[in-house]
Amino acid sequence: MKQKRITFAQGCAALLLLYFLLAVLLYAIAGEQFFWRASQQELFIPESSAGAEPLDGSHVLEQSFWLEGDRIDSLAFKSCTYGRQNSGVLRAELADENGAVLAAQEYAMQQLPDNGFVPFSAAEALRISAGRRYVLRLSGRDTTPEQAASAVYQEQATLPGGELRFDGQPIAGALCVELRQSDALWFGPHYWQSAGIVGMLLAGYLWFLCRQRRAGKKGLVLNALDAFQRYRFLLRQLVERDFKTKYKRSALGVLWSFLNPLLTMSVQYIVFSTVFRNDIQNFPVYLLIGVVFFNFFSESCGMGLMSVVANAPLLTKVYVPKYIFPASRVLSSFVNFMLALAPLLAVLLVTGQRLTKAFLLLPFSLACVLVFCMGMALLLSAMMVFFRDVQFLWNVISILWMYATPIFYPETIIPQAFMGVYKMNPLYHFIRFARLAILDGVSPEPRAYLFCILAAVIPLLLGLALFRRTQDRFVLNL
Amino acid sequence: MIEVQHLTVDFRMANDRIQSLKEYSVALLTRRLSVEKFRALDDISFSVKRGEVFGLVGHNGAGKSTLLKVISGILKPTSGQLWVGGPTVPMLELGSGFDMDLNGRENIFLNGAILGYSEDFLKEKYPEIVEFAGLGQFIAAPLRNYSSGMLARLAFSIATVVNPEILIVDEILAVGDEPFQRKSKQRMLELMGGGTTVLFVSHDLKQIREMCGRVLWLEHGRVRMLGDAGTVCDCYENQGGTL
Repeated sequence: MKQKRITFAQGCAALLLLYFLLAVLLYAIAGEQFFWRASQQELFIPESSAGAEPLDGSHVLEQSFWLEGDRIDSLAFKSCTYGRQNSGVLRAELADENGAVLAAQEYAMQQLPDNGFVPFSAAEALRISAGRRYVLRLSGRDTTPEQAASAVYQEQATLPGGELRFDGQPIAGALCVELRQSDALWFGPHYWQSAGIVGMLLAGYLWFLCRQRRAGKKGLVLNALDAFQRYRFLLRQLVERDFKTKYKRSALGVLWSFLNPLLTMSVQYIVFSTVFRNDIQNFPVYLLIGVVFFNFFSESCGMGLMSVVANAPLLTKVYVPKYIFPASRVLSSFVNFMLALAPLLAVLLVTGQRLTKAFLLLPFSLACVLVFCMGMALLLSAMMVFFRDVQFLWNVISILWMYATPIFYPETIIPQAFMGVYKMNPLYHFIRFARLAILDGVSPEPRAYLFCILAAVIPLLLGLALFRRTQDRFVLNL
Repeated sequence: MIEVQHLTVDFRMANDRIQSLKEYSVALLTRRLSVEKFRALDDISFSVKRGEVFGLVGHNGAGKSTLLKVISGILKPTSGQLWVGGPTVPMLELGSGFDMDLNGRENIFLNGAILGYSEDFLKEKYPEIVEFAGLGQFIAAPLRNYSSGMLARLAFSIATVVNPEILIVDEILAVGDEPFQRKSKQRMLELMGGGTTVLFVSHDLKQIREMCGRVLWLEHGRVRMLGDAGTVCDCYENQGGTL
């Protein structure tokens, strides 16, 4: 008994240590995305309709605009050379509303493109105050009107809260610019505090558990841990059983776990890249991520659904925690899911997808989808005991679910009005997370983590609650 | 070891078991969702001492299996008190814990795990189980190739390899060939000598007489008679002819 107590405390300590390691690791991988998020506001006027007067030393061209972001990521304007050889220097300045120059850069006029974007690299990564007006000022020197370049503008366009002035005189239209900015996020600067607070809560709770255990008291979590300890062997046997019998009499055996997602992906690839065109980059990988995630979901829920009913002869004879049947089904599907990641890796390599450290975030979305499927399997298997219609209903619902998940189409085809409902689909968040981590190579924004956790934990709690409430009446209905 | 007091189990027989949403909503709408109670066990009281072999007899539907389910914790009683002094090991009905696609070895581990044995224990006892079941090289064959006698032997071997506190035997000894029946009887006697309490259900009165000390006769969920094996079996036999 003494021995066991020590190992329990050690387990708690290990868990805590693991938590802090993961917190540090997460910061290392995703730190940047926790601080900044691409702003909704984007200034982009690509097409010009007119050129301003040549900017020799006596003229100045000013474009003001209202910025809502907290940092400028990139800024470019379009120069014009009137198709001639120029000389002299073009000076670009970014100033705030008080006239203080925040960034300045000078260009040799002879190297400027005609009607092409010129990057204003001095303004990159420039911290700004959100909700202020800024001015981009262009002027020239060391030149003559015959040899000066200028910038182009679009007469039909306007920029938010801004106007275009030439020597202080307003001109109708707006300068052709491209400006991207980022919003500062709360989470990044408060990351360590947040992680610390959660860690303290975790430590406190674990300490409470240790004390409770030492006092010989039983709680929900301790009971669950005990049961898990006692039935771990059975769980493993059941998972092994599922896995062994699944491909027992097939010639290719476990190879099917690799082949299945690949073949599904190939069929869908052929259909959706020729019949329905889309402009998703690296479509095979995009598709395969959706396919393996959804396959896991539909397989684990389909098997979990039947798990209690199919084990009726056992349930009515021996006492085993009934949770173990849906849990073992979901876990054996999860093993399959893990195997299906091998072809995904292969396709990543073949398509030459560049992987970044964000790839290491993939386990997070795997864990979330596992927890979510566990909840769904508990929910469905409990419902199935009382209403056998669930299995037929589920066939239809899973088809609906498939179309409601961005597996083979880009999420952009969903009308903005339905996006709110659309995002209620937990799978959407998990798949989006995985795609961002793999295809875009960046960590999703902090909010996406929260959504994933909620989308996983809420169904699990619902499933557990329903299962717990009804499990005593299972035997009567089997 | 087992203490049962005023145990009552009701089943809800709501116009036949409603198993679909349609039936449920129809019944709900027509207000016929009346709950007809079926009393499977009615005010049962008895106690079983450690090491006793306790028989249960009665006609089909008398409530024997329900009583066993309550004792092994599968079914919660509607009312009454139940005290069980240790883990119960049920001897599984043919095939209920087996997977027909797995071979004998894999099934021993699966079934053992279901019965709550630990991995180390199973590994240690594995040769003993195989030896006792007498399956020979069939242990490596999938279970679907087994005869029903072989299945029963395997099930019995797995259930009795441990010295359980309480062993529940529901009509199982009748299977298997003559030598195995003798062997299993031998093993049962061994277990009883070792202090295992056995709950024994059978329609074979000869067996009951041989094995059991006391017998409980259930009829329509009630205790009809409780006493030593000889007396109860005699009465049951006499009655059985007329009923």
